[in-house]
Amino acid sequence: MHWMVYAGVAIVLWGVNGLFMKLGTNRVSARSMVIWVTAGFVVLLPVLWSGSTLAGLSARVIFVGLIAGAVNGLGNWAVFACLEKGAKASVAIPLTALYPLGTVVLATAFLKERPAALQWIGIALAVAGGAMLSYEPAAAVAAPEEQPHCVP
Amino acid sequence: MQTDGTRFPVWLWYALLCIFWWGLWGFLSKVGSEAASPMQMQILFTLGMLPIAIGMLLQMRGKLDRDRAGITYGLLCGVATGLGTLGYYAALREQNASVVTPVTGLFPVLTIVLAFVVLRERLNKVQMGGMILALASIVILSI
Repeated sequence: MHWMVYAGVAIVLWGVNGLFMKLGTNRVSARSMVIWVTAGFVVLLPVLWSGSTLAGLSARVIFVGLIAGAVNGLGNWAVFACLEKGAKASVAIPLTALYPLGTVVLATAFLKERPAALQWIGIALAVAGGAMLSYEPAAAVAAPEEQPHCVP
Repeated sequence: MQTDGTRFPVWLWYALLCIFWWGLWGFLSKVGSEAASPMQMQILFTLGMLPIAIGMLLQMRGKLDRDRAGITYGLLCGVATGLGTLGYYAALREQNASVVTPVTGLFPVLTIVLAFVVLRERLNKVQMGGMILALASIVILSI
């Protein structure tokens, strides 16, 4: 099949996921969401195992992969907490999608990779775009528990 | 609560924290993927998430929210993200990452449209501009 079909599947599922994340945190706590999301990932494990094994991987690579998963889980908790604290899905999802910025910074610091000119432009756009996305007049965002205090 | 009188709402701290954690995840994935296939990495990611989930369960002393719709959305988040990732890997078998990743990175556009329709969320003009810059940066940084 054409790669655009597969890419389209990814876009649709990830895009819908952003909506589910907000609908979920409207009902359960961020930490509960982390647990249910992890359960959702575990459901897919048999599918992954059927296609490949971990045989032949060095202990170092396995360790790096496991730590990466743990760190990803912490990121999931942070984005759910962000939504729980009143962020709009249409702000939180594009904002956190800027995480490649963090990757570029870390790669620069630890892999001695120097950002190319184009990457510098990307970094600048990410910082400016992130700041603008976060611009919300204070009254517009209120976590549900704050609303009673607004009554004179 | 925490947002009173401040220009820096508490949700923004969590968004920045998320960018840090996911950025670190992207960095470690980069290191690991030199020796492991995407599928193998995905297995390791899933196993690595388990201690975090168990830690949160212990922290909550087992008082897990059991709202049925909430559980359904949570499970769907995991399954949709995982299946979407498999779609992304399938695309990588046919095309270079420098072409696929900028395209799949545009997924927030769909979330914004769905949030507009389903949740009736509205972005102000500054945020709309920010969204365009953010999308441009996602494309550039994933080339």
